[in-house]
Amino acid sequence: MARKQKNEHGVIGSLFKINLNNSGHQSKSFLHVFFGLYFCMDIFEKLRVLSGSARYDASCASSGSTRQGLAGSLGNASIGGICHSWSDDGRCVSLLKVLFSNECCYDCAYCVNRRSSDTERASFTVEELVELTLRFYRRNYIEGLFLSSAVLISPDYTMERMNAVLHRLRRQERFAGYIHMKVIPGSSAGLVAQAGFLADRLSVNIELPSGESLRRLAPQKERESIIRPMAQLGETIGSSLIERRKYPSAPRFSPAGHSTQMIIGASPESDLQILRLSEALYRKMSLRRVYYSAFVPVSADNRLPVLNTPPLQREHRLYQADWLLRNYGFSASELLGEEAPFLDEHLDPKAAWAIRHPEFFPVDVNKAEYSVLLRVPGIGVRSARRILAARRFSSMTPEGLKRIGVVMKRARYFITCSGRYPERFSDRPSIIRKQLIAAGDSPVSAPALSGQLTLPGL
Amino acid sequence: MLTYCYDGSTEGLFSAISHILRHEPDPGAAVLRKQGYSLFEEGIFIQADSKRADEMIRRFSSAYPRNARDVLFCVYAEQDGIETSLLHYIHLVARHGSGISGHLTHPAVSDIRHLSGKVAREVHRFKGLMRFSMLEDGSYLARMEPDFNIIHPLSLFFSNRLQAQNWFICDVHRSLVSRWDGKSLDFGTIESFIVPELSAQEREVQALWRTFFRHVSIPERRNERCQKSFMPIKYWKYLVEKQ
Repeated sequence: MARKQKNEHGVIGSLFKINLNNSGHQSKSFLHVFFGLYFCMDIFEKLRVLSGSARYDASCASSGSTRQGLAGSLGNASIGGICHSWSDDGRCVSLLKVLFSNECCYDCAYCVNRRSSDTERASFTVEELVELTLRFYRRNYIEGLFLSSAVLISPDYTMERMNAVLHRLRRQERFAGYIHMKVIPGSSAGLVAQAGFLADRLSVNIELPSGESLRRLAPQKERESIIRPMAQLGETIGSSLIERRKYPSAPRFSPAGHSTQMIIGASPESDLQILRLSEALYRKMSLRRVYYSAFVPVSADNRLPVLNTPPLQREHRLYQADWLLRNYGFSASELLGEEAPFLDEHLDPKAAWAIRHPEFFPVDVNKAEYSVLLRVPGIGVRSARRILAARRFSSMTPEGLKRIGVVMKRARYFITCSGRYPERFSDRPSIIRKQLIAAGDSPVSAPALSGQLTLPGL
Repeated sequence: MLTYCYDGSTEGLFSAISHILRHEPDPGAAVLRKQGYSLFEEGIFIQADSKRADEMIRRFSSAYPRNARDVLFCVYAEQDGIETSLLHYIHLVARHGSGISGHLTHPAVSDIRHLSGKVAREVHRFKGLMRFSMLEDGSYLARMEPDFNIIHPLSLFFSNRLQAQNWFICDVHRSLVSRWDGKSLDFGTIESFIVPELSAQEREVQALWRTFFRHVSIPERRNERCQKSFMPIKYWKYLVEKQ
């Protein structure tokens, strides 16, 4: 198979050579053409293998950083992020998401690139990856680079290579687009610090939600080797922000913050445990985002659960709950309790909370403050803000609410408009529950949520 | 209710709005239409006056920059029938200040904000979906067929992002073109269009991009409905990865 593809690229390669010779406007030596040909043949294989093994990383955000293009530089960064395409699985493609190498010396059970897997192996050279990024960026295919890697030889060896790519891009090619880089767990603090001044966002993947599961499934990764760089990032990002307030010209350190990812469904942790961990990460490590990645069975290892399909619905509910933690003022213990530690598959977590708390409703949309409006199902961040702005001019009616984008088929059971009920609040939660489920969840399925949203401050 | 009409040009539109705001005692009750929009009802025709229109746009933009953006985006939309709402919106802003844009239950405010939101979304979409290809002479060309006339904001965006290369952006249906030569941005129209020869490198890079696109998606999560809802098929024509 591999050989056949090589031949195809050989044809493209020879075309390339002929065109180069015919066009004649570049006087290249034979050696140059030869190397061009070699580059052309090999790079397709590498890109195929190394994008294929990077695809299980959920994050593709290009938001959180803003940078104007300067004379002689290439690119800029836009605060809300920009999606450039959507792949066949519905996830957004914003960055050139690749591994530097998938030749791994670790053997993590859940990972497609583990040492014992018989997958094809490849590594980029620094030049190849830099050239690829620039060529794609100039054609507006991408917003920048997402660089991760398997542990090639040792964590520090790998990080040095990755840093070299970033350094070439930023300092030599004056690339001002977005760069997200994964920190290799166990790499030294000095290399992490170096990367922070080159990338827009750094992140360390937790992968598994507990130390216990990590020991069982990823024996070479220690909990400490993940937490330490994460704490370092949290602290340095914070102190860099303070410093930049004093001296605006001080260098930025990972200006778009840091994030992490957890695999859902490869280990036995409950949603409550996962959300508590996320909450702690947001509070103590000041993370921007936690990504959840439904486990895609990639090996028949007997330490892993047997799944027919990835748990997409569970991933979807976790993202919704995560949104409630970050933007809606909910806490993990409000959403779930020890007696019911998993999210309802059929109902979104905010509606589920509302049904459990009839004493909180109905909410008067003409009087309630922002934080109260946010707790009403069918009212989101945007419509809550719009209600605050609009009710300064006139009092809100059900028709007015609809006009500004409130989802009335969900909100109607929980609100009044200055005493007028669009729907009398029933004291029988089971009926409301049925009607909310019938009213339907948003038809967009899980992968959509891992894409980009342009809420401010993410 | 007084009906006014104008010649259909942007200058004419703003001349008329300026005239009505000055001379009409209750602009909030006036109606403004393009001439010939309705067969039976013709109103008072206001002659286009570029000086007056410029003056009006300049003063409004400097006093209310955020509202001016809404107005500008509605002009990009090139949509007939929005003129009366524009008139009422500008009148409301001039009278009550920029905060009136939050009065979303007002029909004119809601019309304007809704339409400008649609245009803003398309501009944002094209910042991502525009595809440049390298021509034989080393310059880059992007072709697009947007719903709204958004070549202006997009060209400004790319003149910052891709300032180190020469490029053209071409709005195929409207026959509009913009050119960046590394220093300045020009706009113009095109008579006819011949697809120029691509550079040798271009085919290789496009094939690389398709390779990447194919392998970055997870087969177990295949979800084309979701893909199409974010990236409607009408945009696929110029997407390298969809050819």
